[in-house]
Amino acid sequence: MSATAALVGVSKKYGRATAVHPTTLELWPGVVGLLGPNGAGKTTMLRLLSTALPPSTGRVMVAGFDATESHASRIEARRRLGYCPQEVTFPRGMTAFGFLDYVAVLKEWKDADARHAEVRRVLDLVHLSERTVMKVSRLSGGQRRRLAIAQALIGAPDLLILDEPTTGLDPEQRASLRSLLSGLAGTVLISTHQTEDVSALCDRVLVIDAGAIRFDGTVPELLATAAGRVHLGPTATAGAVQTWKTGTGLVRSIGGQAAPDSSAVDPSVEDAYLLLRSGQRITQGVI
Amino acid sequence: MSWHVDERVWEAYVGGRLDQALELSVDSHVARCAECRAAARGYAPAATADATWAAVRATITTPTLPAPLRLLRRLGMRGDDLVVVSAADSLLVPWAVAVGFAVACACVVGFAGLDPENQDAAFLAMAPLVPVLAVVASYATLDPLREVAAPTPYSKLRLALLRATASLAVALPATAAIGLAVPGVGDLAFVSLAPSLGLTLGALVLLTWWEAPVAGALISSLWVSAVVVVRANGTVDALTAPMVQVAFAATGVVLAAALVLRTSTLRLQGGDL
Repeated sequence: MSATAALVGVSKKYGRATAVHPTTLELWPGVVGLLGPNGAGKTTMLRLLSTALPPSTGRVMVAGFDATESHASRIEARRRLGYCPQEVTFPRGMTAFGFLDYVAVLKEWKDADARHAEVRRVLDLVHLSERTVMKVSRLSGGQRRRLAIAQALIGAPDLLILDEPTTGLDPEQRASLRSLLSGLAGTVLISTHQTEDVSALCDRVLVIDAGAIRFDGTVPELLATAAGRVHLGPTATAGAVQTWKTGTGLVRSIGGQAAPDSSAVDPSVEDAYLLLRSGQRITQGVI
Repeated sequence: MSWHVDERVWEAYVGGRLDQALELSVDSHVARCAECRAAARGYAPAATADATWAAVRATITTPTLPAPLRLLRRLGMRGDDLVVVSAADSLLVPWAVAVGFAVACACVVGFAGLDPENQDAAFLAMAPLVPVLAVVASYATLDPLREVAAPTPYSKLRLALLRATASLAVALPATAAIGLAVPGVGDLAFVSLAPSLGLTLGALVLLTWWEAPVAGALISSLWVSAVVVVRANGTVDALTAPMVQVAFAATGVVLAAALVLRTSTLRLQGGDL
């Protein structure tokens, strides 16, 4: 079995600034979470994989097609992916159905009946079937976000790339989206700031910082990097990366030297992520 | 209610075997009788109900094309191309640019107090640029949905040309209208169409090298400079001569060929057209 998508020595430069350092990466079926701070290169990496942005060096492979090799090969790659950008500017006069119909045409659904049926299918998937004929400008922020995700689902692509898909969704809508994404057969790559999404949904986590992948592993492997490094006690530990007073009155400390009266607690994905970002003693899974 | 629909009648109704008078009678009765409405649910096959609902939903949700686009469909335009053109809301900017510049052009030519020769020169300098600016404003870099469109397999050249065509549908009548509206330049309105064609195709060729604002500024500067030079050496009547008009049209054909060649080359080099 070959990877659904791959970056082979891919880098991206804007003038002298490097947005993504040479990166080699393979994606297999399942949900992959891309975590990283603002400006780390998440969106650039997703745009490279989506073929919306040509790389400065290296090859982008989707479903076995080298999107950097030729125009024909890039078209084949694009037929097998769906991409939801971080922000979608909707023309105000368009209806939800009209918007998806337009994107379906761009995805080469030429037969009107089949195209309309596909539009209705994805509207059902994101629970917007009651908003079909409503103008996009009258939809709420969460509904627009779901509409943006729906366009990426058209054609049930092998590779689904979602940039911050849960932004603007309420907890119920996020849970619904998780349910939808976890039921998809292909490869789903999501970038997110929500570490809960990663722990709840992702088979694999990539942590990116300053344009390079710093961690590549499973959620348990990421959690293992922080085992014994998160403490709860009456006072903050010395040298902690982050500390805060919890609702119980005890102080949760991430990293640092544990105080004698504190006890180690199970780390969360967020704890592990913060430790990873701080560069404190972590080796497993770190690239 | 003195009567209710019995099982035998229901079966005949569902099977479509009732005569028209009795079927209408059942329809009318069921509309007023809650007991029979409840009974009807037991006789309606689920598959039929689902199919009916699907058909109703399809009718309600399928967008109807505006009248001009229905005309284009009758003239043979492809349905998927019509969907692209009907995404007209994303073309509001180019249309506003076309109409706005056309109005500005009319104001300058008509109300700036120019003598007739300078009025002609001003008109010829500005009017052919109306479609150019509309096409530049419609180009991909200014499309609000460009980020969604970029990673799709649809030909970006086809998308650009469809958007350009939709923009020209507004820009060209606007160009003609200002010529007819401003006293003294009526004939020039039609004379300006040939240079419009060449300049628009020239802009499309330049758009394969540069961003839309740069391409638009460059082609506009070149044209205005050319008109200024012609005017400095006499009247702009030279630009309206039949041979010059033919030359503009021929240039348009050459630029169309250059556009096809350029986009083919870009594709081979890994570009996105």
